[in-house]
Amino acid sequence: MNSATQSPTRPQPEAVTALTARLRSEYGDRALTTHAIREQHSHGEGLADAAMPDIVVFPHTNDEVASIMRICHAARIPVIAFGVGTSLEGHVAALYGGVCLDLSQMNRVLEVNDADLDCRVQAGVTREQLNTELKGTGLFFPIDPGANATIGGMTSTRASGTNAVRYGTMRENVMGLTVVTADGRIMRTGNRARKSSAGYDLTRLLVGSEGTLGIITEIQLRLYGIPESISAAVCQFPDLKSAVDSVIVAMQLGIPVARIELLDDVQMDACIRYSQLTEFAAKPTLCFEFHGTEAGVREQAQMIESIATDHGGSAFQWATKPEERSRLWKARHNAYYAALALAPGKQGFATDACVPISRLTDCVLETQADVATTGLIAPIVGHVGDGNFHLVILFDPANLDERSKAEALAARVALRAIAMGGTCTGEHGIGVHKLDALRAEHGDAIALMQAIKRALDPLNLLNPGKTVPPV
Amino acid sequence: MLDPAFTSSLAQVLAPASLLTDAEDTRPYECDGLTLFRQQPAAVLLPDNEAQVVAILRLCHAAHVPVVARGAGTSLSGGALPAADGVVLSLAKLRRIVAIDPLARTAIVEPGVRNLAISEAAAPYGLFYAPDPSSQIACSIGGNVAENAGGVHCLKYGLTVHNVRKVRAVTIEGDVVEFGSDALDSPGYDLLALINGSEGLLAVITQITVKLLAKPQYAQVALAAFDDLERAGAAVGAVIGAGIIPGGLEMMDQQATRAVEAFVHANYPLDAAAVLLIESDGTPVEVAAEMAEITHVLTASGATEIRVSQDETQRLLYWSGRKAAFPAVGRISPDYYCIDGTIPRAALPRVLRQIEDWSREFALPCANVFHAGDGNLHPLILFDANKPGDKERTVEFGDRILQLCIDVGGTITGEHGVGIEKIGGMCAQFPPVVLERFLGIKRAFDAESLLNPGKGVPTLARCAEFGRMHVHHGELRHPELPRF
Repeated sequence: MNSATQSPTRPQPEAVTALTARLRSEYGDRALTTHAIREQHSHGEGLADAAMPDIVVFPHTNDEVASIMRICHAARIPVIAFGVGTSLEGHVAALYGGVCLDLSQMNRVLEVNDADLDCRVQAGVTREQLNTELKGTGLFFPIDPGANATIGGMTSTRASGTNAVRYGTMRENVMGLTVVTADGRIMRTGNRARKSSAGYDLTRLLVGSEGTLGIITEIQLRLYGIPESISAAVCQFPDLKSAVDSVIVAMQLGIPVARIELLDDVQMDACIRYSQLTEFAAKPTLCFEFHGTEAGVREQAQMIESIATDHGGSAFQWATKPEERSRLWKARHNAYYAALALAPGKQGFATDACVPISRLTDCVLETQADVATTGLIAPIVGHVGDGNFHLVILFDPANLDERSKAEALAARVALRAIAMGGTCTGEHGIGVHKLDALRAEHGDAIALMQAIKRALDPLNLLNPGKTVPPV
Repeated sequence: MLDPAFTSSLAQVLAPASLLTDAEDTRPYECDGLTLFRQQPAAVLLPDNEAQVVAILRLCHAAHVPVVARGAGTSLSGGALPAADGVVLSLAKLRRIVAIDPLARTAIVEPGVRNLAISEAAAPYGLFYAPDPSSQIACSIGGNVAENAGGVHCLKYGLTVHNVRKVRAVTIEGDVVEFGSDALDSPGYDLLALINGSEGLLAVITQITVKLLAKPQYAQVALAAFDDLERAGAAVGAVIGAGIIPGGLEMMDQQATRAVEAFVHANYPLDAAAVLLIESDGTPVEVAAEMAEITHVLTASGATEIRVSQDETQRLLYWSGRKAAFPAVGRISPDYYCIDGTIPRAALPRVLRQIEDWSREFALPCANVFHAGDGNLHPLILFDANKPGDKERTVEFGDRILQLCIDVGGTITGEHGVGIEKIGGMCAQFPPVVLERFLGIKRAFDAESLLNPGKGVPTLARCAEFGRMHVHHGELRHPELPRF
């Protein structure tokens, strides 16, 4: 652990010129250098710190990815993998230029093994596309981060989402990968067996590595049987504390709820306006979804309802029909846009704290009080069954004072979560924005992360400047 | 023999009773659960606390002395086999249950705590620790993490890696590092997943935070008999394919049920070619609904008899046979060799049929008792080490099974680990591009390869020496090389 990570630098202009010429001749209209395309691939969502790649290439096969990677390796040019650009932490910005590998045209579902409850997809398949193609098999892929992200992007950022409380995150649901290494070789990790203790867990090491250890081109995923019965319910509370306390009791009892989502009064108000949820009041709200047999669902719902009632919650308002449910969850997924609509012209960015469930009430309430002192608008929304919640902090990008207030608030949320034994990133990843927070949280393990980065990408060509702080 | 200066520096750290160097004292540590390999270590160290572990590792690192960490010594792959010129670092004295937090549903434990002791300590809160390897009364949680141990309940509740929140460990350089977090996710590379199943090659574990689960209110087990092995294998796929994830889904063939019945009298149907045990757990309402569905699928899959436990005594009786299967087989054969391949479930019928055919070809009986729901096979090849040729044929039979597991998309070890036993098999399963990454990770943690050397990941040179351990037309290359 002594040699320093090769510090990233912009490649020589001549090397870039030679490379783009070569890629354009090999890939024709699948290798683009127009300003518009490069700009589009310079950022994700969330805070804008754009950095344009020199060229965007749209490969179709593993071999093409490997071949591009080999060329870049030989020419020492950075490579950034790109899905559909829904990242919130600046993962895709080409900080040192180089090649953006847009994998969105690698969008085939390669195999569905219904007896084994698994499938293999190319990295550019989006989660909605996968579920559409699974129609008729009786199976579904549950991980649902809100955005219609690609499976490759979700794997790279270890995404979770609204029903992780029952189905886990990408960590639990990726069984194996096809990866192109930094030197342009294709390797498979994991396999279709349900368990393996052969060798180090490269699959999970790659899951969440944000494109810094290899280019993920194919993913073997776990699938689930569509539950016999699904129903959703909404419960509103007089205050935030009683809502969060209800969640803690439900989790402590181990009730297998598929989703528990919290919206505070500000967020609920935003959603009511944005998604016309006029049947609800602007109060702290929990949305539940139950999966199982009909009897099981009924039983789970009764247990939750009685916990909520004990904490002053309203009677459940049910959504059992698929269209009612999807209206409700669509409103939840649009929470970010609903929040933005509260203050047109402002920008928003999301914090991503995750704490042990026993500290959730403290963390949420302290955060709410903290928001009040800043005068900023920052609704709270969260996958509270996992102890994960977000603030969407709104600020005027032209107003430097407001921006710095917003950033300070976000930093306090991160440190508060870490102090409570939690983390600053429950699901959005590190990217460039959270490198400092990673240091605060994982000081002692960072040297090992850097050593692993060096071992798998000695020239620091894969998404340089992200995920692991420089030595 | 250790350098006397090194031994005396160890004596500064450890009390005399915790530093064993006499051959007589180190003898019990010469092997683990895989008794075919034996090697006495130069010394056995029994630290009382993490500070001593740190001090020991710093000394070993400075003196370039290999270190093999050891828990309860129940490894079935030789993971705790000592290095001749090295020390065994036993974590047996680090056995405190540091804290149980019923609200967060976690327990913080030291590595020497027995697996079952965690569930016992959590029981007053209505909680339990889910992974349950058959050796759970003896095996230690540190060893479980090092091997990513499984068990009957892993189908529904996951392997060790899914049930561990945080691991505190000491690197070979003596740095204390924490992997994972008390929260559900932890940022950066998933080093926690790397430590799980790393077989003592990356760091020495000193503290573990495990997840606890609420004990299911109710459980029932169905015992289903089949008159054909392949049909039983297909029934496993049918249950899972119907979207049911039972609490446990185990299979035993006739060889196994007969051995067990003579031992524990669980009242298994002895004329059946195979028996499935399928557990449903949850609330009584959920269990009733799920059991009805399971029974339906089993009937449609051709079960000749289905019994559902009607009370807890009966449920435990049905399980007693499965839990006692290994010792029961030990009673009917002088020796047995337990294989641990894992395959996609859909391949079960084909692989079981092939094992049956090979069993006839080699004239070696084979009892199958395994985690069918996970596709994790445990064929037990029965042999007599004293009979000339038996051992060699057993090894070849075992290698063929593992090669078949790889060929159908599976792996050479589902839960027992690579250790020393499967180091050659790793060359067959993984191409150089993957092995190079494994070695790169090892170097990132332990550049001099002092932690558990020679285990887990083969060097490329070693693989070249083995050849691709491929059994071609029944011929094993390099038969002279030890690979048992």
